[in-house]
Amino acid sequence: MNDWAVRVDDVSKRFRLYHERNQTLKSAILRGKTSRHEDFWALENITFDVNQGNTHALIGSNGSGKSTLLKCLAKIYWPTKGTIDYRGRMASLLEVGSGFHLELSGRENIYLNGSILGMSKKEIDSKFDEIVDFSGVERFLDQPVKNYSSGMYVRLGFSIAIHVDPDILVVDEVLSVGDEEFQRKSFQKFLEFKKRGKTIILVTHTMQVVEDICDTATWINKGQLQSTGKAKDVVAQYKKSID
Amino acid sequence: MSYLREIWNSRELLHNLTNREVRGKYRRTALGQLWSLANPVAAILIYTFIFSFIFRLPAQVGDPSGIDNYALWLVCGLLPWLFFNRVLTLGVDSLVANAGLIQKVYFPRIVLPLSLTNATFFTWLLEMGVLVVALSFLGSFVLPWLPLLAAFMVLFALFSVGLAMVLSIINVYFRDLSYLLTIVLQFWFYLTPILYPVELVANQSTSLGGLAGTPITLLDLYQLNPVEGFIEIFRNLLYDNRAPEAVTVWVALAWTVVAAVAGIWMYAQKEKELAELL
Repeated sequence: MNDWAVRVDDVSKRFRLYHERNQTLKSAILRGKTSRHEDFWALENITFDVNQGNTHALIGSNGSGKSTLLKCLAKIYWPTKGTIDYRGRMASLLEVGSGFHLELSGRENIYLNGSILGMSKKEIDSKFDEIVDFSGVERFLDQPVKNYSSGMYVRLGFSIAIHVDPDILVVDEVLSVGDEEFQRKSFQKFLEFKKRGKTIILVTHTMQVVEDICDTATWINKGQLQSTGKAKDVVAQYKKSID
Repeated sequence: MSYLREIWNSRELLHNLTNREVRGKYRRTALGQLWSLANPVAAILIYTFIFSFIFRLPAQVGDPSGIDNYALWLVCGLLPWLFFNRVLTLGVDSLVANAGLIQKVYFPRIVLPLSLTNATFFTWLLEMGVLVVALSFLGSFVLPWLPLLAAFMVLFALFSVGLAMVLSIINVYFRDLSYLLTIVLQFWFYLTPILYPVELVANQSTSLGGLAGTPITLLDLYQLNPVEGFIEIFRNLLYDNRAPEAVTVWVALAWTVVAAVAGIWMYAQKEKELAELL
């Protein structure tokens, strides 16, 4: 089992909890020192591999550090210590429609958002119809997105993101967007993704999802790695701990 | 070096973000892009009335172009300044304003100030286009100087964006900076020879002599302002129709390198921490 797609190696993440945050020049000058803070380790020495083609779940209770880990995986936060390596192109989906410009049309936003998510213009051109089709907003494509209903907004955002087609997809709990029909469609897309041998890392609170679609899982509690391995085993351990 | 390659790789994103700025800005306005000309026109009318009509500044005759028109002379310096002003005031907030995006998606953050500068540059280009037409009608033979003008516009844009990048990072730590900047820019505007010719400062300087017993004159201090050199270059090309002095060009070039390197270096250093700091 050497074909890892993502390797998390001894990752720790420190946050500074500021008692007096000097974010104004006045306070910096008056107090003469920059700030007073306390270190808080949100993650400590986390190590695990995710193999190619696996769907991997990050589980844990609220405040366990799994979202921090997800953000590290998405390259939004940088680990204080340790490294994360990828084999293949990584794309993250933490929020849909971030970076939409409200005054611009759906069409323009597909190009804008697509490029923010790392797609080239050529790629977007070739997938444009698919994206529009999947989102189901073709009638409103030339309207500014500020006139979209929240459902349409989210569907368009999700549709763009799911068409980025990375080798490794890092997802927060965004699979629960849109109405029931759209959710079914996106779940289908997700499975298709999996079938094509792509690696997926996701955060979820629904153990049913983990047991149904995930191959492996990592359980984190208070920033410490509790266990990692086969999804069923990890879920069983996790369930035992909260009972 | 790898950081520069990353910037290069995100040029499509840069292009799209620039489009977002340009197209999104004047959406749903009847005059659209024409609004970007409204500000300079208003400023020209006011300043010309005050300084040419009320205060009667000495006539500014272009050498060798021979044109004598305060309004045009003013605009040649005012348009670059307005560009600089916009890049700095918008640029300083470019990270804070896009906090939501930075915390949700990974992309080279440097494209935020860069795209904003591109969009502002586009507006400036329109303004300069109008100016070149006006100058040509009123007797300045500016056409042969256009390639040089374009080169210095790019240089000035690099200088401005470098400075804006440094400010945008500092603004993440000290949010006061964007407010402070508006005041600093006011001082800066009046300390740059835009409304009045630098000769007036030179006259004062000679009458004062060396300051506090040193050989340093008022003019020396005055010319520490990097924008002063740029304004001089733009006036030389547009209004006087002659090549700028070599010293001025070298100093402008040096400032540009310093600002651009400082800006890119700051981003290379701090980029990874931005999501947490915002």
